[in-house]
Amino acid sequence: MKSLMIKDLHVEIEGREILKGVNLTVNENEVHALMGPNGNGKSTLLAAIMGHPKYVVTQGEIEYDGKNILEMPVEERSKAGLFLAMQYPQEIPGVTNSDFLRAAMNVRRERPIPLFSFIREMERTIKELDMKEDLAHRFVNEGFSGGEKKRNEIVQMKLLKPSLSMLDEIDSGLDVDALKIVAGAINKQRQETGMSLIIVSHYERFYELIEPEFTHVLVDGKILLEGDAELARKIDTEGYDWIYKEYGITPERKEEKPVPVSIGTCAVRETVEKAVGK
Amino acid sequence: MIEVHVNQDIALPHGFSEYVIESERDLDLTFSGSGKCQAFIRIRKCPNLRIRTFTDAGADISYLFWNDSDTPITADESHEVMADASLKIAYGECNHAETKRNVWVALRQNGAYALVSSATLAEDKKNTRMEVVNYAPHTVGEMKNFAVVLKGGNFFIDAIGKIVKGAYASQSHQTSRALCFEEGQNSEIIPELLIDENDVQASHAMSIGRMDDEQLYYLQSRGLSMRQSIMLMSTGYLMPITEFIDDEGLKERLKSEMEEKIARL
Repeated sequence: MKSLMIKDLHVEIEGREILKGVNLTVNENEVHALMGPNGNGKSTLLAAIMGHPKYVVTQGEIEYDGKNILEMPVEERSKAGLFLAMQYPQEIPGVTNSDFLRAAMNVRRERPIPLFSFIREMERTIKELDMKEDLAHRFVNEGFSGGEKKRNEIVQMKLLKPSLSMLDEIDSGLDVDALKIVAGAINKQRQETGMSLIIVSHYERFYELIEPEFTHVLVDGKILLEGDAELARKIDTEGYDWIYKEYGITPERKEEKPVPVSIGTCAVRETVEKAVGK
Repeated sequence: MIEVHVNQDIALPHGFSEYVIESERDLDLTFSGSGKCQAFIRIRKCPNLRIRTFTDAGADISYLFWNDSDTPITADESHEVMADASLKIAYGECNHAETKRNVWVALRQNGAYALVSSATLAEDKKNTRMEVVNYAPHTVGEMKNFAVVLKGGNFFIDAIGKIVKGAYASQSHQTSRALCFEEGQNSEIIPELLIDENDVQASHAMSIGRMDDEQLYYLQSRGLSMRQSIMLMSTGYLMPITEFIDDEGLKERLKSEMEEKIARL
């Protein structure tokens, strides 16, 4: 059985500690909801599992399928069955979706996929996600709307058939109809492949469609609270305040960002003010 | 396939034709055509190559110059495009030798159209100056250059779109993109628009640089290694040139030549 095991994970970005000891286990065929207020480390956790170079693991372990994935480069983690549907998918001008996907499918096969089978599979998936037919020939995510980019992540998930998918706010930017289509495609793949899921979303509507069995609440770099689907529902209706109260936490105030000013204007004003003796 | 070893005036036949240029001495060649013609010209060797083309009124002519030389080439070209004619020129520069090229295109009469495009895999000095001049009203000039610059490569392109006074309702557009992957290379693109008429449309787009770390991470997160990502990007930049001439046999041949080159990256 392929399980993801995270033990005492500490992660830094640019010298700032974001995750401060996360423990999480995800077994095959399980769906986990990862919740928590913005800026508390949800995306960081997913990026660290996938291996984003900016996120530095300073302590702890991540194992998948019995292997220490912290020692594996990003592409090996992907080939081991991990998939991250990103919150902000990159645009790759010059590379068509079909060339990209064919290359990505071929690296996990012994023999390259025959062109005809690839086209058939790609067309079927495009239809399933209700995307425009020219998707295959367009450059990866270039000029895509927010919703199209998110759906294209799911097209990739369908074709690469991961054993564990992490969806980072895949539902933001999708309208109600698109949300149903995406959820339907995810559920179908779960039934077909037994894929497990870690889902980051702020919206109960998406959780209603995917039905997570476990909910984890990440606050200030630690999983503060764990429960079943009921917990996700409660957070959706009541927010996070009751958690803060119950655990005696004062949410960290985000630093006020300085208001951008034009240096030119300021310098001029300062000089003038000095000159008139203010 | 016609072998060219001496100075010649070549009248293009209708449809597809193929030429190979091979000479230890300098050559001076003239191509002309009317109607619809497509010419594939493979350059095996020629130290100094002078090319003139004439695109007759109403003609639709495409040239694909494929540089296969392993010795340096200096090319000087001038192209004349008459009324309502279309001229498309493409350069496949994926050989391992220096090239210096100076291209001049004149959109001479009303309704003339010209496209100059190139795909370069630069491991050596590749120096191009191209100038497309709109001399008449209602003319359209386009330039599209794509390059992948490798270690030891020195890629330079000066792309000039010029619209003279009186050439109203004309257009001049250009795009140049260079991808560099390694240290020890040099890339420079100079986009220029020289416009002396008010009623025109003009644009230029230029990018030069390494593949972004975030893009690389994205490709890697789908299972592609750094090398596979570079090959994929290079394919995207260079492969479209193999589709330039509408001949299935030729497309297949160029495609496999290009794949071989990219596989060696």
